[in-house]
Amino acid sequence: MDILIDILLALLSVYLAFRCMLAPKLSKAVFVFFAFGLTLALAWIRLGAVDVAIAEAAIASGFMGVLLLDSLRDFSLTFSKNHNVIEVKPNNSVEVKNRSELFPKIGLGIGLLLFLLISLEAVWNIPEGGGLTALAGSKISESGVEHPVTAVLLNYRAYDTWLEIGVILMGLLAIFAAGGIKQYRKAGITPSQDPILRQAILIFIPVLFLFGAFLLYFGKMGPGGAFQAAVMWGAIGILLHLGGWPVFTEIPRRLRLLMLTAGLGFFLFLGLIFMTTGGALFEYPPAYAGLLILMIETFGAVSIAAALTAIFAFLTK
Amino acid sequence: METYKIYSITSVVLFAIGLGGLFLAKHFLRKIIATIIMGGGVFLCLVSFADRDSLSYADPVPHALVITGIVVAVTAAAFALSLARRIHKFSGEETFTDEK
Amino acid sequence: MINFPTSSFPALLVALPIFLAILSLIFRINRRAIIGLWGSFLIGILALVSFIEVIQKGTVIHILGGWEPPLGILLRMDPLSAVFIGLTATIGVFISLYTWWYFRAREASKGRFPLFWPLWFFLWAGLNGLFLSNDLFNLYVTIEIITICAVGLAVLSGEKNALKSGLRYLLAAIAGSMAYLFGVALIYGSTGTLDLEHLSEVLKPGKTTNFALIIITLGLMIKKAAFPFHFWLPPAHSAALAPVSALLSALVVKGAFYMMLRLWTEVFEVSLTFAAGQLIGIAGAAAVLWGSWQALLQTNFKLLVAHSSVAQMGYLLMMFPLLIIAPGISSDSANWLSPAWTAGIFQVISHAFAKSSLFLSAGIIIMALGHDRIESLRDLVAWMPMTAMAIGIAGVSLIGLPPSGGFMAKWMLLKGVFLSGQWWWAPAILLGSLLTAGYVFMLLRLAFAPSREINHFRSVPKSLQICALILALGSFLIVIPAENLIQFLEGSESFGSGIQSIVKGGRYGNE
Repeated sequence: MDILIDILLALLSVYLAFRCMLAPKLSKAVFVFFAFGLTLALAWIRLGAVDVAIAEAAIASGFMGVLLLDSLRDFSLTFSKNHNVIEVKPNNSVEVKNRSELFPKIGLGIGLLLFLLISLEAVWNIPEGGGLTALAGSKISESGVEHPVTAVLLNYRAYDTWLEIGVILMGLLAIFAAGGIKQYRKAGITPSQDPILRQAILIFIPVLFLFGAFLLYFGKMGPGGAFQAAVMWGAIGILLHLGGWPVFTEIPRRLRLLMLTAGLGFFLFLGLIFMTTGGALFEYPPAYAGLLILMIETFGAVSIAAALTAIFAFLTK
Repeated sequence: METYKIYSITSVVLFAIGLGGLFLAKHFLRKIIATIIMGGGVFLCLVSFADRDSLSYADPVPHALVITGIVVAVTAAAFALSLARRIHKFSGEETFTDEK
Repeated sequence: MINFPTSSFPALLVALPIFLAILSLIFRINRRAIIGLWGSFLIGILALVSFIEVIQKGTVIHILGGWEPPLGILLRMDPLSAVFIGLTATIGVFISLYTWWYFRAREASKGRFPLFWPLWFFLWAGLNGLFLSNDLFNLYVTIEIITICAVGLAVLSGEKNALKSGLRYLLAAIAGSMAYLFGVALIYGSTGTLDLEHLSEVLKPGKTTNFALIIITLGLMIKKAAFPFHFWLPPAHSAALAPVSALLSALVVKGAFYMMLRLWTEVFEVSLTFAAGQLIGIAGAAAVLWGSWQALLQTNFKLLVAHSSVAQMGYLLMMFPLLIIAPGISSDSANWLSPAWTAGIFQVISHAFAKSSLFLSAGIIIMALGHDRIESLRDLVAWMPMTAMAIGIAGVSLIGLPPSGGFMAKWMLLKGVFLSGQWWWAPAILLGSLLTAGYVFMLLRLAFAPSREINHFRSVPKSLQICALILALGSFLIVIPAENLIQFLEGSESFGSGIQSIVKGGRYGNE
């Protein structure tokens, strides 16, 4: 029975990936993309990776999907504006082009098939067993947390996580760079006129906040942690923007920057403090490690949430 | 056949679909979706290897790597999306080839 | 690995740029440039001190979080990475200086690009992190940092061309890093470790390893714009602002090259064969010929310089076939290894200096003329002698005329090629130099040609021209400490070592 579910999920994800690429309409591709992300999340639960499933469902499928949906509005708006012009003319030329491009396409297809076969063989030959499970488990008492994934993220490989919090900030800066920062200061979405929507958002916010805090705190013992909490808190900002309260663009610049850089900065600050006392960067004394990790996670979650909100607020203009 | 084998094979197929999509798809949005599908394949591959040891819990290292990887990949994709939208706003172009 | 002395410099080399990036973000825009300038001096000093530390102690490590690999991550600074970090710092300081004056000169008309400084510091942190990294997944994170910051900087001007080439660059780079990560996943699956040192001990040859090698190499070749994947480089590098183009060409593409060098010589020894080296060599030779030929056809200065980057990166790839030695031959008896390594390192250094100088000169010319069409470079010598000199000197180094660093690189490459018996690379090297000479002299001929117009150049601050000139001179000055540099590099484990192929077959050098 179990294996049937696995095979079904596997086939479904492959089918949805195909649909994403081949669906004739772009809007369909985006909706299928949502479904694809959720299927993957299910697959990860089957593989025992609940943390990854939450991250996938929230960030890769949820956040990215919302951004794609919003872009869709952008792209299809202009499409419908010049509907007649675009529909008739280039369509013919596209077909002509298709014929001339058939051979390279077939070549690419054969190449991909070959690639698929070689990589299948490579994956098939992976030895059974091996990995760092036992080692990660044996050191867990020194890491300050009980959940092994959190221990890896915030203690064993804290350097990667620190850089990754930085990556989100860099991504935000790069998005600003691409869009021209002046655009950011313009007024945002016009306030939503729908009172029911605004009321619903107001109800949702404390729920999301508490759920985020719950995920953050229980990341110590089970699935959850900074990233998952950050998405919940980021969702608050996004919802507020959708409801017409552009909180993030209206709070003072200093505070905004502080929120964006707090995670990266505090992480570095703590790491450096213990470095000056003779340890290595990101080395925490085991007695305080649990508390310090919780603090780092809190600041990190605030920063990531702020960055996600900012990306959303900036992109949806 | 163990569970992880099914998913590691799936992951390879997903990677190939994403790769093909990135090459063959025309529209910016579809190319960006293709990169995320590619990423999904890679991450599934890593996580499926984590499930092999059959101890009381799965290997936490790949899980942590995948969480990091997902965030990095989504950041890059969001940046690509912002570039695509900016280009579209400027010139109405939706693919690399069209010269409007 | 743990036997090496620990030092906190590797950690600081990553932490300081990130700290400065945060600091520059928090400050108001008009103060940012000051922080940028002094900050880059600070990083330069730190890089110098760490360099001295490596000279004194040899390879140093930093065990992050006190967790030893394979569970934790370890930063390693050996002479090879010290040289790359030093190079980044040297070029970086001059580019920062140039940028400072460049934005001041453009201030009146165009605005000051407030995001340049934070992105540049993040990029710097990413580069330093890449050179220090000793972990496969950490390498992925650093190269993503580099990609995102590099593309962010490339699209800073906000023009349509820049955006479009930036998107193409970004998508190509994402595909490259996903391919790389797929390889990493397979390696982790088959060995259960990510640490390079551990991997070199436990990695076994087999189909999985072979495929991981192929896909990692392909991914990195996309990132460094090696021949079949070079399509994104010329538009992206030529559409960016001048200091950014210089950064991208001089430093960013070198990151992927450094990764490939490390992985090939330290991790994948078990899977490499003669044929693999030859394939990479062919890609390199094709890049040399194609890039140089395309550069000759360009009518815009920046596009010319960008195409020349494709060609010069091709020379770097040509060192790989020389590194692979036949089974049974020890590294010590293979006398072409040392020239090949010297060629690679000097090509990296001299190209970084020459190319950054050329792009900075391109920025000066655009500032003076408002465009960069080559035919209007007429009479450059009379009006901007320093820039003309910078272009001339950097060009001579690119061609590889003595006594430049480029000459040293190409001469050593030829020496390695003939000593190893792989003579068939020589025509490509020579033809590439000839084509390079073609476009450099085309530029210089125009620069010396009298113009019919009276001074059509607007005045450009002297300080900008001095920066470009110093960097150009750098590509010559580098040969003075060449002997010491090679000696220093020999302290590095991988320097001068070959890749012992375990599969017999094909013609290995002087077999």
